[in-house]
Amino acid sequence: MAEPKLRVLMVSDFFFPNFGGVENHIYYLSQCLLNLGHKVVVMTHAYGNRSGVRYMTGGLKVYYVPWRPFTMQNTFPTVYGTLPIVRTILKRERITVVHGHQAFSTLCHEALMHARTMGYRVVFTDHSLYGFADVGSIHMNKVLQFTLADIDQAICVSHTSKENTVLRSGLAPGKVFMIPNAVDTAMFKPADVRPSSDDVITIVVISRLVYRKGADLLVEVIPEVCRLYPNVRFVVGGDGPKHVRLEEMREKHSLQDRVEMLGAVPHSRVRSVLVTGHIFLNSSLTEAFCIAILEAASCGLLTVSTRVGGVLPDDMVVLAEPDPDDMVRAIEKAISILPSINPEEMHNRMKKLYSWQDVAKRTEIVYDRALKCSNRNLLERLSRFLSCGAWAGKVFCMVMIIDYLLWRLLQLLQPDDDIEEAPDINFCN
Amino acid sequence: MVSSCLSYKRYTYIHENENEPTRGAIDIHHVIINGSRVTGYARLWWLAFFLVGLAIIMYFLLGKDNPVRTLSWSCLLSGFFVMIQSRKFVKKESVIIMPTFGIQLETQYLSGKTVSRFIPIGKILKPVLVECVTPVTCYWSLSLFLRGEEQLTLVFKELRPSLKMLVPIWKALCAVSGTDQREMMTEEEHVVAG
Repeated sequence: MAEPKLRVLMVSDFFFPNFGGVENHIYYLSQCLLNLGHKVVVMTHAYGNRSGVRYMTGGLKVYYVPWRPFTMQNTFPTVYGTLPIVRTILKRERITVVHGHQAFSTLCHEALMHARTMGYRVVFTDHSLYGFADVGSIHMNKVLQFTLADIDQAICVSHTSKENTVLRSGLAPGKVFMIPNAVDTAMFKPADVRPSSDDVITIVVISRLVYRKGADLLVEVIPEVCRLYPNVRFVVGGDGPKHVRLEEMREKHSLQDRVEMLGAVPHSRVRSVLVTGHIFLNSSLTEAFCIAILEAASCGLLTVSTRVGGVLPDDMVVLAEPDPDDMVRAIEKAISILPSINPEEMHNRMKKLYSWQDVAKRTEIVYDRALKCSNRNLLERLSRFLSCGAWAGKVFCMVMIIDYLLWRLLQLLQPDDDIEEAPDINFCN
Repeated sequence: MVSSCLSYKRYTYIHENENEPTRGAIDIHHVIINGSRVTGYARLWWLAFFLVGLAIIMYFLLGKDNPVRTLSWSCLLSGFFVMIQSRKFVKKESVIIMPTFGIQLETQYLSGKTVSRFIPIGKILKPVLVECVTPVTCYWSLSLFLRGEEQLTLVFKELRPSLKMLVPIWKALCAVSGTDQREMMTEEEHVVAG
C-alpha cells in the first residue's frame, strides 16, 4: 500500500458508542478520508468497558483512552494529565495533522494545546452554537479563546456557526472555513410508494421536545393548522420536558385522532417515520446546522422551517419566522405547493449537494492549508496569547509555558526514540 | 545454542534453539533487562537513602514532641514505597516452548527468585499481539487466549519489550499452538468494533 498522504488524528470526547451529530460527523468524515487514501486515527475517552484500541470499518483505528468521563461524556479536565498519552499516540502513529471536534469537549481542548506545544498542525471544528450571557458560556468562551488563539485553521458547519464562533473566540474570520455537514443519502431514501396526498396530508415533526427546539411554537401552531385544514394530521416523534404541554394541547382541542405522539424514536427508525409524511416541520429557535431537515429532504419531504443554520435550496424549503402566525402561513404555502414536489428528484438533488465525499475533499483542502502554515516558536506563540485579555492573556501564557516545560521533562524521561511506531495494518476489502 | 540475539533500548532478546531444529526440539526465548546487577542494587540503595531522608524531614516537620506519630507515618510511607519498588526488580523473563507438550513462562528476579508457570499445549487457544492503552501510555504486549479463562494471560508480566522482539516469539507460539498466521491476519481484517 502506498504511504498515506496525510495522517490525521481526530480528537473528541464524543464518538461511538455514544450517538449524536458530532459522532456521526467524525465517523463519516473519517471513512471518506480513508477512501481518499489518508490515514485516520480517532482518540476519545473510554466508554464503560470499551477501553483500549479498536478497529472500525475500513481500518479506522480508535483509541479509547481510559480517562473517566465526569459530566455529559466529558473527560475530567486535568489540563496537563493527558500530555503523556497524547504525545505517545502522536509519535506512535506518526501523525501530521490533529483535528479537534466540538467546543464542549475538554479532551479536544487539552489535546489541541499539547499538539501545538509539540509543534503539530491543528485544525478545529465547531459544531454547535453557544450563548454569551450565562456563567457556563462565559467560561467556555474563554477556554475556546485560549485554544483558538494558536490554531492553524478552523472549520464551522454553517455561516451562522461561523459568526457565532468568530464572535465568541475573537478568531480572525479569514482563518475560518465553512464546510456544511452532509447526510447519508443511502440510508435516507424516499418510500418506494409515496403516500397519497389527496385525502390526508401528513406533517411529520421529529425533534427533542425542549425549549430550544421550539416545542412551545408547536403547541400554538398545531391546533391552528388542524382547524384550518381538516385533512391534515400530525405525527410527532421525540421526547422531552415539553411533552406534557403537547399532551395538554391534544386534550384541550380533542386532537387525539389527528395528532399522533410516537415518543422517543431511535435514529435507525427515523427514516421509517419520515417516509409516512409529506411535509416536515422544524421549529427550532436556533441550530448551528439542522441535519434533521437534510434527512427529511433526502426522504423526499417538503420542509417548513425556521431560519436556522444549514438551510436547503429555496424550492425545497419554506422558511418562516419563529412566530406561530408566520409558521401557519408557511405551512399553508407548503400545502399549496405540495402537488408539484417529486420526492425522487429531491433525493437525487440532495445526493449531489450534500455528500460526505464532498465534505472530505473540502476538509482535505483545509488540512493542506494548515500544513502550509509556518511553524512558530514558543515566544511568537506566547505573544498571540497576551492579546486575549489583561489577566487572561498572562494566565494563558503561564499555562503554555508550564506545558512546554512538562513536555521537555517528558522528553528527558522518555526520549522520542523510545516510543515505538505502530505498524499500519492493511485492511483489504 | 544461541541462534539470534537482538539488543534494543532497555532490553536484549536472546533466542536459543537447536543447531538443526528437529521435530520436538525445545525453543527458548529470553528477554533480559540491560544493565548489570549493580544497576539494580544501586536503585535499592537510592531508595533506602530517599526513605531515610524522608523520615528525617517528617521528624522535623511533624514535631519532635511526638515521635510515635512521626515513626508510624514514616513506617507507613516507607512500607508503601518498598512495596511498589520491590516488584520491579526483574532480571529476565523467558518463554520455553516445548512442542506438543506445552510452554513455560518464567520470571527471574534480581534476588535470584524465579517464578514460573506451565501451560499445557491443549489449553492454548491463540497467542495475540495486543496494544494496551493506559491513562499515560500505550505499548504492545503478547498475550494468550486460554481455554476456560476469561482474562488474557500475559506472556511477559513485568517487562515491556518492543514489537520487534515480540513478533518472532508470537510466530513461534502460533506455530506450536497450530494457529495459522495468515488466518490470524485475515481475521483481524474483518474485525469491526463491537
